[in-house]
Amino acid sequence: MAILLTDLTAHADLIGNLVVRDLKTRYRGSVLGLLWTLLNPLFMAAIYIFFLTLLSRDIASQYEHIIIGVFAWQFTVQCINAGMNAITGNASLVKKVYFPRMILPLSVNLSALANFWLTLIVQWALLFAILAVTKHDTPRLLTLWVPLLSLYHLVFNLSLSLLVAAANVFFRDTQHLVGLLLSAWFFMSPVMYPLEMVERVAAGHPWIAQVYMLNPMTAILTAYRALQVPGTVFPWTAASVAGLLLPVALIAVAIRVFQRTQRAFSDLL
Amino acid sequence: MNVIEARNLGKWFRRQGLGSPTLLGSLPRWLRGAKPEGFWALRELNFSIRKGQTVGVIGPNGSGKSSLLGLVAQTMTPTEGSVETVGRISALLELGAGFHPDLSGRENVFLSAAILGIPREDIRKRFDHIVDFAGLRDFIDMPVKHYSSGMYVRLAFSVAIEMNPDILLVDEVLAVGDMAFQMKCLDRIRAFQRQGKTILLVSHALETVEEFCSDVLLIHEGRLIMQGDPTEVISTYLRQYMVRIGLLNVEEHGTREIEMRSIRLLDEDGRESATFRSGGAMTVEIDYAAQRRIERPVFGFNIKTGNGFYVFGSNTQIARVPIDAVEGNGRIRLRIEPLTLKQGRFFLSLAVHSWDHAVQYHRQEDLHPFLVKDASGDKGVFQLNCNWEHRASS
Repeated sequence: MAILLTDLTAHADLIGNLVVRDLKTRYRGSVLGLLWTLLNPLFMAAIYIFFLTLLSRDIASQYEHIIIGVFAWQFTVQCINAGMNAITGNASLVKKVYFPRMILPLSVNLSALANFWLTLIVQWALLFAILAVTKHDTPRLLTLWVPLLSLYHLVFNLSLSLLVAAANVFFRDTQHLVGLLLSAWFFMSPVMYPLEMVERVAAGHPWIAQVYMLNPMTAILTAYRALQVPGTVFPWTAASVAGLLLPVALIAVAIRVFQRTQRAFSDLL
Repeated sequence: MNVIEARNLGKWFRRQGLGSPTLLGSLPRWLRGAKPEGFWALRELNFSIRKGQTVGVIGPNGSGKSSLLGLVAQTMTPTEGSVETVGRISALLELGAGFHPDLSGRENVFLSAAILGIPREDIRKRFDHIVDFAGLRDFIDMPVKHYSSGMYVRLAFSVAIEMNPDILLVDEVLAVGDMAFQMKCLDRIRAFQRQGKTILLVSHALETVEEFCSDVLLIHEGRLIMQGDPTEVISTYLRQYMVRIGLLNVEEHGTREIEMRSIRLLDEDGRESATFRSGGAMTVEIDYAAQRRIERPVFGFNIKTGNGFYVFGSNTQIARVPIDAVEGNGRIRLRIEPLTLKQGRFFLSLAVHSWDHAVQYHRQEDLHPFLVKDASGDKGVFQLNCNWEHRASS
């Protein structure tokens, strides 16, 4: 682990260059490049809000929860999708030049983080507006901790990213499988509904709520909301704390798996 | 000091079908419990390379040369054994690796420098030089997707030669680009040599390998066949594998009623050699053994270039040096002096046949490669004796 860290810091210049390459090529070509990044989660949120309002006024009245959920969920999805092609999309580099392979998934995750921070500005503007109109309130001062939480969120995203990056080298249909899992996971996490809804559904079966809370995405989304929306609290139970800490174990496993499997990357590309 | 040392180095590859491996595609194999099939690209390689040496790696296509470079560059991991290296390694392999089409030439210079491990500060200092060397001053802020392929390669190469490694790996770079570009490549390699860098050079251009390398590895079917003096290794390679390349038909046939048992090529000092000086002397000694008494046999020879061009041929009949008869053992000496061949690689064929050419007793086609080194600047295959005269008319 220590060796890996020194190896990565020795290549800080390369990581920086790759992040800049990623951001530049994303925003280059049109002003809309930057705009699309901001519009994407915005449209998603608008679609969910509109159709959820049709289904149930109860959920949809909590627009601020949906906004926070969708923006954070998009961050994770972006990291996973970019990680998927981090190795396979750079075959010529991996085969011809030596550098720590982890740099490739790491740099796309960092550029996704930069991207997420940009969308945060839009998110905060919306939160101010929504809270002012619907609740005559403002976001909590704790909102200032959101960038720090996003770093922890990044650790979680990076661990998933490393796993799919390696898996996709061995099995090119990983992306199909991951696509399926992502849509299931979307509904299993409180992205477009608040946590209380699950508590109500699982009222008769407490173990369901326990299992539900083990999902790190649940813990992270709830933490985002607890920091920003007045009146929401993070439920400090054993299961939720376990869910919150799970990424720490996951990143250790992911790094080990990635380091083990990278020996075979250039053979299979 | 050894800077590259391979011990029992081996690399095994899974035999892959068309396309890439998939999860669904692998299921049937897992259910059968079958082991993946594969092959050894390299096996049981043992060699060491000293600091400052330029070492060539030659062998037919698919012999494992590029895998070897991959293992030394650490882009591949050995399946067995190990290869240890000392110092920073850079590879002049894939020009333009990491170039992004949407970025400008300027941005790509910095990006590709970072990938090749060239410090940012060095590139900033040398930026103008790099751009001028590539001849792209007017286009440097244009996205490289609008570059011609020549401009693309020139820029990539100009960045790549800024690398300052302890060990440089070169894989067939010299095969791309025009003459001027290749000359630049070779100049750069010479500069590396002067700085005492270690160079590992993979090339099919045997002349280049011979000119640059002090040591050559011959690899065939993943095994290290030979390591040593370039001339010797290259001669062996040519003799054994030229037939596969298809330009010459190295072969031996005949009734063997007279058999050429041993052949020696001797230089001016009477030493056995594979390299001869243009303008010097070459002696071919043939020890023969005849199974029975044979009247008036004819010994002949011819010389061809590496690409099959017939340079010269003669025999004892044409030369009017008839041999009455042979019986038992004997020796034929053919002396060529002056050797008027110019710099290059040549192949000697030898034959012994009957006076009327009806019976071929023993023929060795293109079996004896040799090199001619030429200190003069004259060009061509053959030395013509020339005299220049100049007389001013007023």
